[in-house]
Amino acid sequence: MIELKNVTKTFHQKDRVVTALSDVSLRVPPGKIFGVIGTSGAGKSTLIRCVNLLERPTSGEIIVDGKALMQLSNAALALERREIGMIFQHFNLLSSRTVFENVAFPLELAGTSKSEIKTRVLELLELVGLAEKANDYPANLSGGQKQRVAIARTLANNPKVLLCDEATSALDPATTRSILNLLKDINKRLNITILLITHQMEVVKSICDEVAVISYGKLIEQGSVGEIFADPKHELTREFISSSLHIEVPSVYQEKLQKEDNGNLNPLLKLEMTGKSVNEPVISEVSRLFDTDFKIVSAQMDQAGEVNFGVMLIELSGKRENYNAAIQYFNSKHIKTEIIGYV
Amino acid sequence: MSDSIIDLLVKGTWETIVMTFVSGFFGFLLGLPTGILLFLTRKNQILEQSVLNRTLSVLVNIFRSIPFIILIVWMIPFTRAIVGTSIGVSAALVPLSIGAAPFIARLVENSLLSLPSGLIEAARALGATPFQIVYKVLLPEALPSLINAASITLITLVGYSAMGGAVGAGGLGQVGYQYGYIGYDAVTMNSVLGLLVILVFLIQFAGDRLSKRFDHR
Repeated sequence: MIELKNVTKTFHQKDRVVTALSDVSLRVPPGKIFGVIGTSGAGKSTLIRCVNLLERPTSGEIIVDGKALMQLSNAALALERREIGMIFQHFNLLSSRTVFENVAFPLELAGTSKSEIKTRVLELLELVGLAEKANDYPANLSGGQKQRVAIARTLANNPKVLLCDEATSALDPATTRSILNLLKDINKRLNITILLITHQMEVVKSICDEVAVISYGKLIEQGSVGEIFADPKHELTREFISSSLHIEVPSVYQEKLQKEDNGNLNPLLKLEMTGKSVNEPVISEVSRLFDTDFKIVSAQMDQAGEVNFGVMLIELSGKRENYNAAIQYFNSKHIKTEIIGYV
Repeated sequence: MSDSIIDLLVKGTWETIVMTFVSGFFGFLLGLPTGILLFLTRKNQILEQSVLNRTLSVLVNIFRSIPFIILIVWMIPFTRAIVGTSIGVSAALVPLSIGAAPFIARLVENSLLSLPSGLIEAARALGATPFQIVYKVLLPEALPSLINAASITLITLVGYSAMGGAVGAGGLGQVGYQYGYIGYDAVTMNSVLGLLVILVFLIQFAGDRLSKRFDHR
């Protein structure tokens, strides 16, 4: 549905040339949600702006729904953009228009009749759950409500694809989840292909089918979300995955944590499970085999695609002479294990 | 104060109001499109055109650097060609409009520059043409600040029109100059000042109210 072929974009800043994108190629199949993740300045904003030619690539090809956009005239491009929805981090609603008028805006641009606009706008506000806010101004809405208006506005033209430029980055976690659910719902119900960029792995994990990692203007890794979580190839990808798993040593433990074992302390282990880890009840196995006990201090386990992954802090006790063997056993099952201290 | 002086003051006030608002109107007629064009042709804007932008900018700067009192005299042949005379209210309208236009153009350009750039981007992404961006996004969104620009312009024009009064333009300026300054009539002079102050306050008050009325940010 969306295809980028060898897209390169350079900017001229005074007398130096900055390469924002270099030789980026990707394909988003119809009906899928594709996420591009990267740190700020990696070129992801430029990438998504290139898809509807808000930025014109220096070289390469952009094909959306079978049409090569780079070859179109300005007028034809404006028409084609009506088929490509877009939402933004800062919503970009018109402050001089009410919610109703904001959603009506793209329909006015397309010359839709007044009565048709009315039914369509009310239908869209119903879809995003803001029917009762129709006559409010954006200034009186919360961030999540503003993004819902922006979604309704961009859906007004019945786009085939939807571009999301950090659409949840300015929202709190609960609102982020509700917007992501709405996007997933739109993707399923209206069969709209979605390309999104984000710096939050949670976004990728919760709604994307496929993901690409961008760094310094290059796509360094791409594949299905399950594959990437199962077997991340790049250090950056691993960092993104682990950043989506927040685990900290609780302060009670932090206070009594010792660097060295004085002979009667218990090791505190951090176990990291990735897609490579064996899908077996390893902990109880270790417990039985090595006559050891585990106390789970803190844990976060999650599912991305087919893959179960997560991180866990456990306090090990039992037969002291078997500790090393236990740790080795974890490692042999591809569970990355480290001793972070003794308690 | 004699009745004849009061009549003069009433007539002068009316003429000043006419000069201010009519030249303000023509000033906007010239200045608004110029300001929009100055904005749209800037670097990284939707109709980026550096040659046109620089030419316009130079023209605007030239006209803004001519002192108004000199502009009136300098424009006399042109004024005569347009309105047939170089004296009176209708003659004053020509240099007043031309003097205000570049000032308005810069104010409009600044109003548009202060809009969040994301608005244009969103409108482009929704398939808006440049013309639609101007009249459906830029102008409505900048309306509160354009109204402020209008109050600033009108207040400047009150001052300019009084200046014009000294060289035969009519209005409160002429009353103050002839009866107050030349005739050493302190009461008339101070009445003129009082009326000008009231006029300026009224314009500012109305402008603030209107601007607030349209501001939904």
